Amino acid sequence: MRLAGRLGGAAVSLLMVAVLGFFLFRVVPGDPVVSMTRGRPTTAAMQAELRTQFGLDRPLVEQFWHYFTGLLRGDMGTSFTFRRPVADVILERLGPTLLLVGTSTLIAVVLGLWLGVRAAWRRDSGFDRATTGVSLTLWAVPTFWLGMLLMMATGDLFPSRGMRDTDTAPDFVSQALDVGHHLVLPSLTLVAVVCAEYVLVMRSSLLEEMHAPYLTTARAKGLRDDLVRRRHAVPNAVLPAITLVFLRFGLVVAGAITTETVFSWPGLGLLFYDALTGPDYFLLQGLLVVTAGAVVVMNLLADVLHGVLDPRVKVV
Amino acid sequence: MIKPSLELKNLSVHYGHKRVVHDVNLALEPGQTLGLAGESGSGKSTVAMSVLRLLPRTAHVEGEILLDGDDVRTMSWGRLRAVRWASASIVFQGAMHSLNPVQRVGEQIAEPMRLHGTGGSVGELLEQVELPLGKARAYPHELSGGQKQRVMIAMALACGPRLVIADEPTTALDVVVQAQVLGVLKRLVAEQDLGLLMISHDLSVLAETCDDLAVMHRGELVERGRTREVIANPRHPHTAALTAAFPVIGDPAHRWAEPAPEPQPLLEVRDLAVDYGRTRAVDGVDLTIGRGEIVALVGQSGSGKTTLARTIMGLRTPSSGRVIFDGVEVPRKGKALKAFRRQVQLVLQDPASALNPRHTVHDAVAEGLRVHGLADDEESQVTAAVERAELRPASLYLEALPHELSGGQQQRVVIAGALVLQPRLLVADEPVASLDASVRGEIVALLLRLRRELGLASLIITHDLGLAWQIADRVAVMHQGKIVEQGSVEQVLLNPTHDYTRALLRAVPQV
Amino acid sequence: MTGFRTRWFSRVGRGDGAVGGFLAHRAGVAGAVVLAVAALVAVIAPLFIPADALDVTRVSDAPWQAPGLGHWLGTDHAGRSVALLVVQGAGTSLFVGLTAAVLSVGIGTLVGIVSGHFGGLAAGVLLRVTDFFLVLPALVLAIALSTVLPRGLGTIVLAIGLTSWPSTARMVRAQTLTIEARPFVERARALGGGHGHVIGRHVLPSVLPLVLVNATLAVASAIVAESTLAFLGLGDPTRISWGAMVHQAQLHGAVPQRAWWYLLPPGLAIVVVVLAFTLVGRALEAVVTPKR
Repeated sequence: MRLAGRLGGAAVSLLMVAVLGFFLFRVVPGDPVVSMTRGRPTTAAMQAELRTQFGLDRPLVEQFWHYFTGLLRGDMGTSFTFRRPVADVILERLGPTLLLVGTSTLIAVVLGLWLGVRAAWRRDSGFDRATTGVSLTLWAVPTFWLGMLLMMATGDLFPSRGMRDTDTAPDFVSQALDVGHHLVLPSLTLVAVVCAEYVLVMRSSLLEEMHAPYLTTARAKGLRDDLVRRRHAVPNAVLPAITLVFLRFGLVVAGAITTETVFSWPGLGLLFYDALTGPDYFLLQGLLVVTAGAVVVMNLLADVLHGVLDPRVKVV
Repeated sequence: MIKPSLELKNLSVHYGHKRVVHDVNLALEPGQTLGLAGESGSGKSTVAMSVLRLLPRTAHVEGEILLDGDDVRTMSWGRLRAVRWASASIVFQGAMHSLNPVQRVGEQIAEPMRLHGTGGSVGELLEQVELPLGKARAYPHELSGGQKQRVMIAMALACGPRLVIADEPTTALDVVVQAQVLGVLKRLVAEQDLGLLMISHDLSVLAETCDDLAVMHRGELVERGRTREVIANPRHPHTAALTAAFPVIGDPAHRWAEPAPEPQPLLEVRDLAVDYGRTRAVDGVDLTIGRGEIVALVGQSGSGKTTLARTIMGLRTPSSGRVIFDGVEVPRKGKALKAFRRQVQLVLQDPASALNPRHTVHDAVAEGLRVHGLADDEESQVTAAVERAELRPASLYLEALPHELSGGQQQRVVIAGALVLQPRLLVADEPVASLDASVRGEIVALLLRLRRELGLASLIITHDLGLAWQIADRVAVMHQGKIVEQGSVEQVLLNPTHDYTRALLRAVPQV
Repeated sequence: MTGFRTRWFSRVGRGDGAVGGFLAHRAGVAGAVVLAVAALVAVIAPLFIPADALDVTRVSDAPWQAPGLGHWLGTDHAGRSVALLVVQGAGTSLFVGLTAAVLSVGIGTLVGIVSGHFGGLAAGVLLRVTDFFLVLPALVLAIALSTVLPRGLGTIVLAIGLTSWPSTARMVRAQTLTIEARPFVERARALGGGHGHVIGRHVLPSVLPLVLVNATLAVASAIVAESTLAFLGLGDPTRISWGAMVHQAQLHGAVPQRAWWYLLPPGLAIVVVVLAFTLVGRALEAVVTPKR
């Protein structure tokens, strides 16, 4: 029943994402066509044609029905700047983003949780103060600025634009090495900022558990300090921390947008930037629906995972 | 000469400048059972934790703690870890939090056995505490309170220690479950010839389990002797206060209530039913409270007694049935309900949480006046109510915040806050359950005096049959949403007719 | 009358306790000092900066000058003094941060108390909506909002404020539920107190300290959000802000030119101010949350 409830909740959320995506770009002051064509020489006739082409001259309900049924088929309209279906454009940029976000999140989670556990266990030690201080500072650092600083500081050590060089040999190993080389700076930027958040989350989660009576029980049994931590404190603290990590997945998305913009990483983040500078409303709308939908799905996964891992939560 | 299994010599514990335990000397022979009694803050739990050196680092410990002749204080960490659980183990207070919530209980019982390399099986241990083997695969939250406490006991016996320390092992449990758990503990201690150091605020629990009794007061050991002798002839005034606080049912000396005036009905409950979703919490209850009468509503937790009280007060809507107050049906909403609430006031179990920590005594007592717009002459009304509740002179207390007061004083503030509206009925939910034993008697006396002087009727909700004996005119016994028996105190408590009442009475620990 | 006076004095005395508690957190105090200086600069500095000095069309100094005697933080791509730009930008960043935080915390507190105090369908729907927006990436929504609305300071404040309230709402709701479960609220109801009484006398006073903490932390994230929007070119084009400076630096190639003096100061300003708000927030949190 619980699982069905979760699935239902996620379905409602996805529906809300779709509705939000539609109205956010419709119920706005001004004419979308006017603002999209701003700065380009257009006549009233051309604008009217665009309106018809995008269906903007229809009643709102009809537009929504058209949009919604399209969405179900995977049709998100046509990009104004690319003159191609939004879905195709997004699909083609998915890979680089998955690579960047996946690598960075993995590193950030492992590093963040480990540092957080160590800091909390030796609360107020030099290590704790240093870790917390650095994390708080990194949390205050704007991602894009950090990226630009790293770029400036490393000079020519690492490539700072794009994902691969045009003159790399076509074989797999050279290509992979080249992408890896390009990946260093963007992923470092993303890890630094995201990891800081995870350290703080994990640290406070473990600190909450530090005075739990069952740890006294474990000590009384004669367990060594590190076993008390490993077997009893951490398993209890890690589960809520992981949930929080997933809940703040939006943070990673935000980080990816600015990081990709700074490093011209050809993923969804850079596409976002291109779409908003247009502005290309259909592309923006598609990106919003896709990212928000992805976050909703991630959350559902986290929920289910939490239910499987944590015996206190029942998923039947 | 037999070497004592535990010997404390001049044990003192300080936290900074605060002295928690002072110069305690105590010895426990192998196989001996010793109860350590005391109120909250008396230092009894600190003593228990010091035995396995489990106090926080901020604690400063002096003296000797000899466990089988070795001083725990000066042991190396390695030796200490070897001694923990193998020589002495602990049944902790509140099994709810003392078990790891994400580990199966079987694994938690097995952990010390593996660690200390002792034999034995989880199955045998569970059998000893009368739990089915299948429960080994359960997580703590899947067990009831009593089952969790049995798991704690099984865990404590896992490495075959010679001494078991039990720190308030039954405090959070219901009377009936408490009796069962105490039974298991008592049997195992006798069968395996274990030493037992049991810590409790409840003398009757200790009297039931331990041959010897020691009493602590403000960090000092004030009395020690055979349990029967200590309780029969307490030498220290504090011990005397503790023994007096646990009334013996049937003993006329512990019956404080004067005969009630000829009852005219004040509140009548007719065929009342209350549902929580699909569960029927209160099921067809009839109850009458006369003017100036004190009625005790007794039952286990979950019996529906609290729901009944809330419904009488108009805090919950009944599914069917009627509540009639002074001949008029209690209104369910609006101004009429608000007016009714002046007549009936609530006194809650834990006074510390019944008072907003940010409000001064004055604010707390005046709250009712302000709600009802009776704030003219607030100062004198508040003062009068506070003094009625025996906080004299009122000016000393009016500006205090709740945390600056003792538990007894806090409960008086709650009572004053009720009195200020000049109610005719007081609904008191476990009014003394969370108070220290020595204060308990004073609050009981206050409630009786209010009845005598103001003709205030009370409905006392309690699990404690002793309290009912002490204070009530009539007793109603509630079980699974129904009142199974009601009548005068003597009739119900001395000659019970219903099986459930008998079971409740049997569960009361005997001094 | 003495009653009133002693009551008043005792309250003041207790207030001192809270201030003393805050002063015990050195990092928090340092943060507060930094904020006071930043606020002072933001308010006073514009009065002394000649308008010409920041106008791209009227500046005559050479662009891309490294720090030196004339401009001790160098000049930007148009020859404006970086030092003056940073000082001027403080106002925008702080203004957006504060107003967006107030908006967001205000919405969050209202939603939190309403969904916590009142049960029923409306509260359920509110909770569902809160959870929905809590999960969504706030920045993406803020970007979408600032793209469709006309550029300007108001849009930025609205975009940040309207997308960042859910965490406050969750926190306030949880706190409201905790307070409402306390026996003293039941006692207040038994005394005859209605919704207004319970919220006004019990819930709100208990929630406010946490709201204050949340507001402080919300300013920190709002300033970061503002800088991000400005960096993406969604800021108010007529105003100088720290994020907009980094945007300009990126646009005009400060990185390839190694113009560290152009890039470093605005970013550092953000870090210092955001860190200061965070430290003050954490110190406040430590003061208002009772220790176990």
